[in-house]
Amino acid sequence: MNKTLPFFRLLAILLVAALAWNLRSYAALHLPVDYDEDDYLRAAQEYAAVFRSGDFGGLTEYNYRPEHPPLAKMLYGLNLLTVPEFALLPDRSTNAEPDKFLPYPQKRAARAVGVVLGTLTAALLALLNPAGGFFLAIHALTIKYTSQIMLEGLPALTSLAAVFTYTRFKHDDRPGWLIASGALLGLTAASKYLYALIGIAILLDWLIATPKDRASLARFLRLALPWGILALVVFFAADPYLWPAPLERLKSSILYHAGYATSSVDVQQADLPVYQPLVWIFLFSVGQWHPDVFSYVMDPLIALIACFGLPRLWKREPVYVLWLAIGLAFLLAWPTKWPQYVVTLTAPLSLAAGEAVWAFGASLLADWKTARAEKLNRPPERSSLRLALPWLIPGALFFAILTLYPLLYQFAMSLTDFNLRSILDGMRGGVWRAVSAGLLSGQAASPADDRLVHYIGAASYMPILDYITTSGLLGFNLLWTGLSVGLQAALGIGASLLLWNQRVAMRRGWQAFFVLPWAIPETIGAIMWFNVLSSGTGWLALAAQKYGPGIPFSFLLGWESNPGATLLILLIISLWYGFPIMMLAASAGLKLIPAEVSDAAAMDGASNWQSFRYIYWPLLFPLLIPAIIIRGIFAFNQFYLFQISHMFGNYSLTTLATLSYNLFNPSSGGFGRSAGQFAISAGLNILTMIILMVFVALFNRWSKAGAGVTYA
Amino acid sequence: MRKPTLLQQFLTQILLALIGLFVLIPIWSTLRLAFDGALLSRPTEFRAFPKEFSLQPLLQVLDRPYQSVEFTVLLKNSLLVSFSTALMAMLLGASLAYAFARFRFPGRQPGLFILLLTAVLPAVAFATPLYIVLSALGIRTTLLALILVYATFAMPFCIWNMRAAFQSIPLEVEEAAHLDGASDLTTFTHITLPLALPSIAVAALIAFLMAYSEFAIGWLFVERADTVTLAMAIYAIVQSGYAQPWSQLGSLALIMSAPVVVIFLIFQRTLFDKLLFGAGGD
Repeated sequence: MNKTLPFFRLLAILLVAALAWNLRSYAALHLPVDYDEDDYLRAAQEYAAVFRSGDFGGLTEYNYRPEHPPLAKMLYGLNLLTVPEFALLPDRSTNAEPDKFLPYPQKRAARAVGVVLGTLTAALLALLNPAGGFFLAIHALTIKYTSQIMLEGLPALTSLAAVFTYTRFKHDDRPGWLIASGALLGLTAASKYLYALIGIAILLDWLIATPKDRASLARFLRLALPWGILALVVFFAADPYLWPAPLERLKSSILYHAGYATSSVDVQQADLPVYQPLVWIFLFSVGQWHPDVFSYVMDPLIALIACFGLPRLWKREPVYVLWLAIGLAFLLAWPTKWPQYVVTLTAPLSLAAGEAVWAFGASLLADWKTARAEKLNRPPERSSLRLALPWLIPGALFFAILTLYPLLYQFAMSLTDFNLRSILDGMRGGVWRAVSAGLLSGQAASPADDRLVHYIGAASYMPILDYITTSGLLGFNLLWTGLSVGLQAALGIGASLLLWNQRVAMRRGWQAFFVLPWAIPETIGAIMWFNVLSSGTGWLALAAQKYGPGIPFSFLLGWESNPGATLLILLIISLWYGFPIMMLAASAGLKLIPAEVSDAAAMDGASNWQSFRYIYWPLLFPLLIPAIIIRGIFAFNQFYLFQISHMFGNYSLTTLATLSYNLFNPSSGGFGRSAGQFAISAGLNILTMIILMVFVALFNRWSKAGAGVTYA
Repeated sequence: MRKPTLLQQFLTQILLALIGLFVLIPIWSTLRLAFDGALLSRPTEFRAFPKEFSLQPLLQVLDRPYQSVEFTVLLKNSLLVSFSTALMAMLLGASLAYAFARFRFPGRQPGLFILLLTAVLPAVAFATPLYIVLSALGIRTTLLALILVYATFAMPFCIWNMRAAFQSIPLEVEEAAHLDGASDLTTFTHITLPLALPSIAVAALIAFLMAYSEFAIGWLFVERADTVTLAMAIYAIVQSGYAQPWSQLGSLALIMSAPVVVIFLIFQRTLFDKLLFGAGGD
């Protein structure tokens, strides 16, 4: 936390709060009535009646839908006091269609509570990390379930506040924070049980942070015990429904969930797979349900970014990572898999995404600082613009014409609706006309004539971003990059280690042979491989057909219809292409390790594995990083392999570059989509470019040549 | 280093043979395909060796591999496009590379970043705008367009590598030439360029190979059969499916990759270094 810039911090929090407020109030006004909303509104009406009557003993009598604790419902009831009374909504079964026509003032008043709570949650997260607050503010699934009359808003806020106050206590040891944390945990449990999982995360984090000696452990027990008791006391205090018969009512309330999860019709009919929570987090766009409320959903993108922020978050505040891990493990294990449960995790998820943004910014800043330091320390070269100009002008001119102009034109295309219908207009300069007109007027033109190019603006990126994240394409592309480079590095390093010892027989011969795949162009290699693997015509696939599924490569039969098997096939091919260069890189690295090192290790009695793990690997790995990043870029951009695989039966997996090509290609069937989508293809390319900037920045940091990029 | 025991030697050889088998599989399958004279269309049954060994497919490919286009035409197109691409990328990029290698000027560092970024962009990222621009100019379907497109792909990479080549020439050599009264241009053409030439040639080779093996972007641009390159012909054969014996596909793949493999085996070390953007070990 940067304390030197309190003003900007406050500003960021306010901006996040304003954004969260706007999005949530819009959603609250426009979202249709969902399951359970009518039930909770009825519960709130009952409480409102109790508050009105002034007979607070009634609080112990009522808790409509008693499987959930009453605190959030009571809060809704409190705000219902601001609107006139309305006849009590009918009692309906939980799986009945929602009552579409809730009384408007009541619905509005109840939803307003959620809007306020949701905004506060985002603002609190922005206090921890402004980018994280921003991500939570725009997280569509969170917006939906905190703006409707659901039970998520209050526990989402109190659980985050409980963890936050706990971390404050961890830092400055003031008991006030701990008391607040315990109380907030109690309130969380009294709002919705599921959110109380943070209690486990806090305890675990606390235990991890405690030194493992008797005194510290005793202190941990001395503090954690009252903290837990306080949480329990607050929980009971905030749950008046339990007062008349605490154990009995608590038991039936909790047992309800176990029964609901295992035997209710709703859960069984939904029949969602074990991994469904991951789908809700990484692939689902709530825009599918409410296209008019959520035009662009960034949830999967936030989740993807969050994956990159986890290491930094773990270093900074491990409790949030534990929160995510425990919560996710529970959701995976628990049979009921409703989407709203994900809201228990969106706060730490957004925080992790915010940390990723922060980490990236920090690394850029560090690069910039080292670059400046280097610049100051460096002896001046022939530094003169006048001398450079004669060389610079022709070169820059050609570079601008051949490289920069197309990229600029591409950017302009991406801001329009340019496609095959408007190609004639586009070629006659329609793209520039549309973009300049759009930039001057500052608004999107209404597409009256589809034979003309129209300006859309930066908004044209949103559906593309939405598509590539919610379809899992971007996630697959990154997964592909990691898997293929990881396998290539593993086999490459393995081969180089086998060939390392000078006395291995036929050493040179093997090495020369292993380099072969690297020399064969990617296109030809891919065709060669599909002549081995494709069902019905491939060499080994035919063997598998002939000799039955008993032989080891029986997965070759019918891989086309199975994305997992398709991925395996593609990985085998990319491993074949890619391992030789990794082998060369690793061999070059191993040569740099002096023989004395290995002799010393042998003398100290290290086993082969030990000397590799503790001596060679730490020396070798830094030398491999540039090769890994470059291979990563190639894998991320992989096009020819996928393009050819599409002709040999891969209909399920593709990369951004391949999709862009096929969306663009005006003469193809366009991968089952309408072809000639020039603007969309251009937008995809620009997004790819932005992602590659991250790769290039990484490369800059790590490689020796990178030293040349930034400061030579 | 210790001499491996017999058992270690044996195990190592087994593992190496497994990797070798993996490397060999597609190559053997292609060889088997290429010399199978009995094949009329796609293969439909498994054979470890060709059913009927024959050079016929190879000869057929060397005559007319694709539709009625002669092999020599395809080869001529391929070589023309590849050489021109390499030459253009080098000539047009050289002065920029030299400027980045030797001089300091405002905007140099953002320039280097842009250069590296454009060098790692996927080819399709350039194809999209170039298609429209070259269509508008009315030259999209010509070989010249193909050369321009491939030169665009290759140029950032070539500039990056030439820059490294120029940088590796010690500044003192140029200063000595200046002291003897040589102009900037004379120093460049007579001193720096010849010294950097071997590295530059390797960068040019990479540009050449890129153009030589590219097909998908090419098919976006070219329409007529007589402006097709070898790589594009292979792709077309695959696309046409059952129309001609796949032994020809195998033969064409062999014919195309053989020279490249030879080049790679000769220039292994330098190519390796250049393809990793000068980041590999030395």
